[in-house]
Amino acid sequence: MTIIRVKFRRGDEVKFISHLDLMKVFERAIRRARLPIAYSQGFNPHPGMVFGLPLGVGVTSEAEYGDFEITDDGMSPQEFADRLNLQLPKGIEVLSAKKKMSKQNIMATIAASEYVVIVGTPAECSQKALKTAIDKYLSQEEIVVKKKTKNGVKDTDIRGMIFDLNFELQPCENFNIIRFTALVSAGSKANLKPDLLIESLCGYLGFEYEIDRIHRTKLFVRSQDQLLDPMEEVV
Amino acid sequence: MSVKLSDALLKSVEKPSRYTGNEWNSVIKDPKSVDIRFAFCFPDSYEVGMSHLGMKILYHLLNERNDCYCERVFAPWTDMEEKMRQNNIPLYGLESKDPIKDFDFVGFTLQYEMSFTNIINMLDLAGIPLTSDKRSDGDSFVCAGGPCAYNPEPLADIIDFFMMGEGEEIINEVMDAYAKWKGTGRTRQEFLEDIVKIEGIYVPAFYDVSYNEDGTIKSFVPKKPDYPVKIKKRIIKDMDKVYFPEKVIVPYTDIVHDRIMLEVFRGCTRGCRFCQAGFIYRPVREKSHKRLLELANKLEESSGYEEISLTSLSTSDYTELHELTTGLLEEMEEKKVNLSLPSLRIDSFSLDLMEKAQKVRKSGLTFAPEAGTQRLRDVINKGVTEEDLLNAVSLAFNGGWNGVKLYFMLGLPTETMEDVEGIADLAYKVVNAYKNVPREKKGKGLNVTVSTSSFVPKAFTPFQWEPQDSREVLNEKQMFLKSKIRSKQVTYNYHENRLSLLEAVFARGDRKTCKVLLKAWEMGCKFDSWGEHFKFDVWMKAFEDCGVDPYFYATRKRDYEELLPWDHIDIGVSKKYLISESKKALEGKVTPNCRVNCGGCGATIFDSGICGGN
Repeated sequence: MTIIRVKFRRGDEVKFISHLDLMKVFERAIRRARLPIAYSQGFNPHPGMVFGLPLGVGVTSEAEYGDFEITDDGMSPQEFADRLNLQLPKGIEVLSAKKKMSKQNIMATIAASEYVVIVGTPAECSQKALKTAIDKYLSQEEIVVKKKTKNGVKDTDIRGMIFDLNFELQPCENFNIIRFTALVSAGSKANLKPDLLIESLCGYLGFEYEIDRIHRTKLFVRSQDQLLDPMEEVV
Repeated sequence: MSVKLSDALLKSVEKPSRYTGNEWNSVIKDPKSVDIRFAFCFPDSYEVGMSHLGMKILYHLLNERNDCYCERVFAPWTDMEEKMRQNNIPLYGLESKDPIKDFDFVGFTLQYEMSFTNIINMLDLAGIPLTSDKRSDGDSFVCAGGPCAYNPEPLADIIDFFMMGEGEEIINEVMDAYAKWKGTGRTRQEFLEDIVKIEGIYVPAFYDVSYNEDGTIKSFVPKKPDYPVKIKKRIIKDMDKVYFPEKVIVPYTDIVHDRIMLEVFRGCTRGCRFCQAGFIYRPVREKSHKRLLELANKLEESSGYEEISLTSLSTSDYTELHELTTGLLEEMEEKKVNLSLPSLRIDSFSLDLMEKAQKVRKSGLTFAPEAGTQRLRDVINKGVTEEDLLNAVSLAFNGGWNGVKLYFMLGLPTETMEDVEGIADLAYKVVNAYKNVPREKKGKGLNVTVSTSSFVPKAFTPFQWEPQDSREVLNEKQMFLKSKIRSKQVTYNYHENRLSLLEAVFARGDRKTCKVLLKAWEMGCKFDSWGEHFKFDVWMKAFEDCGVDPYFYATRKRDYEELLPWDHIDIGVSKKYLISESKKALEGKVTPNCRVNCGGCGATIFDSGICGGN
């Protein structure tokens, strides 16, 4: 039994489909490609696939990951990727593939995610002032936000979930475009959604704002206290 | 120019992938490369529309033409509609996102009377004049087809032309005529004059209707002598040669029937007297099992679907069912494709098949005896006896099934309270059949569900002259039946009969009902078949405002002599036959299955299909 890990992108064409629907897209593409996917035993056999952290609705990504269990140990990851790509709808594309070595489940090991968030704001701001304000925001001991959970809204301290936050200011005529790059906690233990971070930050800055787009650029797994690219993780 | 759908807008609505297109196997063309743009409109939600086989067929059929680009359009859900209106986004084609107002044809499939207000709403959202008399050169042609087109009159003011019968047979002729007409500078009227010569085309504006004092139709006359007096439906003669797509669109979001639908035959030979489909789709025409296996393989390959279902009005009647199911089970097992088998008659063969077919959850089996007593089942010509049903459920219980759903109709012609009580009796007999099964064989905990809907008389059935029970009587019957069902093992569900009243009006409505549709829409009615959107009181107000009496259409008994609103449509089955079936019904006499003996319904004029065993 071989597990192939693929990295894929999700473009604008498919950014509104849910995680559950994405799994069906892959399942059907795998059938069309006649790839030797392993099925679970039992009453209701399921294809052996595990995906990384679900992407929010409307978010695009160039760093999605999936593990696929196949029954043909001789099949190369490249062949798997090539055949799959021919059957994937527009907007979903496998970027690279490799044999998975570690025993850990991708879902369980995800630890961080990097997003680019493009925000438009009518607020006046200069590079310098914004830098100072964001530093001040980050220097707070705790940053409490209202986070929606299964059991309603809960006050949550997100300071520990923000690993890195950079920005680029692109002034326009009547408003400013700010391109944030945020490295935040991700995964089952602690997960910070980029829109929540922006809401908190802009609230702190007193900015009216609108999110133009959110794009995931990186996803990391944790391995012995290190953040690693899922394609580079070691045994 | 295609419409702009911002992320913020799409994020704010439920299930945005209904509106974004790009699904696998959807057809993308360069609009500049075609002469004809066709908007195939389904007047209900994406989930319902995408499950409709006719759309799958005609979409690909039209797109096979190099000169034509067919796109899909569904009724946007109310949240999306609101956003579209706020942002001045017109109704657009899912493939190109171009406004359908600029398309050559806007075609609706009419599957259900209660989707008619959605047609009006979609035209309005598109910015197309709602009635044909308001449309002029440069406007799209609004056309329609499908089962509800067999009584086209409630939509006579709205639709420019109807295509009667099976679309595969007629639509290419219309497109050819259009390709010839387009660019010649000839008028809109002249195009309609061209196509009215095509068999099966009905242009309502070409006919004058006059009425008697009692409100019935006095005359229905073509405005010119060369317009056809009778419009004859078109049918496919050879189902093995008929176009069928080898690929289907695979949606992203869940739809009602998210699987390959393999159409095994059209029509039905049973002749149940309430069933419109059973008459309008005559004669029965089958596909060969070889062709079906070939199609199943191609569709599986191109879609990657994990399930195939067989569709028809009564799949058990398929001549080559054994060969087909054995073949499918063999080929699909290794591909891990499930076979789902709806509407099978339960005998030992079909039970065995169901066991083999898939992970059948041994809970639910569905039966439709339709009526509670043999007398009434004979009236409706439902060729099922109590013994058949009890044998079938006993077989199923012995095989470990423990859930049975039983479907009935209330308000069938000649029904008495005894017949209603018969429904409860039948349910108890099913419970007893379960008790008689040895404990080690049966599943745990029996659950019998009895569902009743209200009988709606439909055009082109032997019951087309019959009154519908008033709502008071239907309520009384529902309450009476409820009081007779007192077992914990039996659950009773009944349908909203206010909706049935409206169905009855539009199933047999004439041109006067058209203004009620427009009025009701104006007052906010749409998605009427969705409980949360159904506004009965508004409908009643619309009838009142228009001076139209709904009961004239729903609860009035017609004479055989009366000129019916759909009498100018010819489905092949003769009125004489329907009258004789109607008389036999009232005498409680049954008519055998057409496969056994030809009843002489008239459908032999099509010179194809299974009639009297030929």
